Formats: sequence, C-alpha cells, structure tokens
Amino acid sequence: MRIVLIVVTILIGACGGEPQPLLVATDVVVTRPMPGMGMSAAYLSLTNNTDQTISISRVTSVQYESVELHESTIENGVARMRAVPRLEIPGGETVTLQRGGKHLMLMRPTGPADIVSLKFHDDDGLILTVDATFEPKTNKNSSD
Amino acid sequence: MSPKNIFVALILAIALATGIFVAARWQAPATLKAAFVLPAPTPLPEFELIDQAGDVVTADTFRDHWNLVFFGFTHCPDICPTTLQILAAANSELAASAQDPLPRIVLVSVDPERDTPTRLGEYLDYFGDGNLGVTGDLDEIRKLTSGLGIYFEKQAGDGDAYTVDHSAAVLLVNPDGDFHALFGGPHNIENYVHDVPLIMAAR
Repeated sequence: MRIVLIVVTILIGACGGEPQPLLVATDVVVTRPMPGMGMSAAYLSLTNNTDQTISISRVTSVQYESVELHESTIENGVARMRAVPRLEIPGGETVTLQRGGKHLMLMRPTGPADIVSLKFHDDDGLILTVDATFEPKTNKNSSD
Repeated sequence: MSPKNIFVALILAIALATGIFVAARWQAPATLKAAFVLPAPTPLPEFELIDQAGDVVTADTFRDHWNLVFFGFTHCPDICPTTLQILAAANSELAASAQDPLPRIVLVSVDPERDTPTRLGEYLDYFGDGNLGVTGDLDEIRKLTSGLGIYFEKQAGDGDAYTVDHSAAVLLVNPDGDFHALFGGPHNIENYVHDVPLIMAAR
C-alpha cells in the first residue's frame, strides 16, 4: 500500500514573504486498474493550511476522461456508493479520502500511463496538482 | 488397610488422575472475533449460473471446498476490490501458517449485465489463483441471494455509469455446500486469519 508521490505542485498565495502552501496532499494511493477494467480509485489526505474553508468543486486528470468524487458507506450491512458534489476542507483541518469512505473514482483512461496527474479545482480555478504512480501489485495468493 | 479402604483409595486415585488429565487438556473455547456461526448450517438454494470459464455453477459446485462468498461487481472501484484484497491477503497469511485447506474465494456478481464470464475471470485473476467467479441470469442470481438473505439493487445512472447497492457480508460455505457462517462488513484481514481456522476445526 505504499505510495510513491512523484510531484506535488502547490499553487501558493499571493502574499509576500515565504510562500506557504495552501493545500497539501499526503498519503496518495492510486489503485492499479483491474485487468479488463477502465477504472481506478485514488485515496489521499488533503490538509488545508489556510483559515478559510477550501471547497473542491471538481478534479480532473489528463489520464482519465472522468474523475468523480464518490463516497462508499456500509450501513445496516449494505454497501453503497454515491457521488459527492463537493469536497469541503475546513481551514486548518485535514480531510482523508480512504478505502470504504470518500474516494476519487478515475474512469475511462485516455491511454496507457505510468503516472496519474490529479488536478484539484475550486470555483476560481486550479489549486493543487498531485502526480502519483500506481500502487504496487500486492496481496496475490500466488507467488509472484 | 482393609480391602474396602483399598478399593475406595483406588477409586479416589483414579478420580484424581482423571481430574488432573481433564484439567490439563481442557481449554476454554476460543472466541470468534467477527464471524457469526449459524446454529444449524443451511443448504444453498437451488440455482443455475455459470463461472468465469462458462461452466455451469449450481449449489453442488460449492461442495468439497470451504468457500468465502462475496456478492459484488467488477465496476465497483472501492469496497469490492478492497474486500477481495482482504480475503486474498488473509488466504496468503493462512497459507503461510500452513492452514490446510484454504477457503476458496468466490465472487457472485450482482451486476450480470456488465460482468461477463470473461470480465469476471480477468478481474478475479488479479486477486490470485483458484478463485471462482459466478454470474449469469439475473433471476437465477436472485434465487441464490434471496435464499441467503443477500440484498442488492441496481441504482439509476447514465447508460453504463450506474452502481449497485449490495450486502457487504462475506458468507462461509462449508464443504457440504451449506451456508455455515457469516462475516459482516467492514472486513479486516486479522478477523479472517483468526476465525476461519477455528470454524473449520470446530466442524
């Protein structure tokens, strides 16, 4: 489950002095696409270093035709998955996208890729770019 | 010592030895972490489906194996692969601890519209060898799920972009082909590694 985070590009505030990252991504995992399947899931933690709520309105990737924010739940023994319109990250807090909870659903790859570039947007435009590799293949019964 | 006293002493000695032997052998029954074992295993309902090779699958297919049966679908990007990874990882740990036999992992599709045998086969290969994929006619799937109390319901979506709500449980089916125990979700590796051998040994 180890992730390899290649590059995290942070757009910075326009204030003077040392630039401070507004939003930081950590623990990024992009699942390997299943054979025959055109989708993956992405998990990560997003830390808001400002005192204002950051509202992610959409996520895009040049490697996928569609990226959607979804939330899985298990309630009363039933697993459900629903689209989530926005991801709110309160000022000074960290929101974690994780297995069995909120996650990014990456659908319809545009072509073969070794790196997935995820671009997080708020209503004003791009605020964070995260480049990550796919997680290593693990948990296979057979030795490989 | 009179013969009567010798006899009483002999009985007491035997009783004491028996008590020591039983006390040395007795162990408190291990407590299961997550599984609920049915008081009486229940035969699977009658149904006829197909596996990833296109071969017929019936209740008899589950015989002669311990089976961990999950109901999901290949277009599920989160809970289904996570659950199957947990089952595969648990089997790897059980194999490393010389558990024999290992349970077979079975995915019964609740989305036969998209889960063709070929797609199921490709998908299940990712989680290891020897897994069984089950798909086929929707009505036949419902015969199996309704007989086991498994819920699933297709949700509205644009074209191919729909999801399916489904029970998160994993059922343990014994080598008689009977529904034997249930693991409710959420799942974790430790629970399977702990509980599965205990359930098998207690049967």
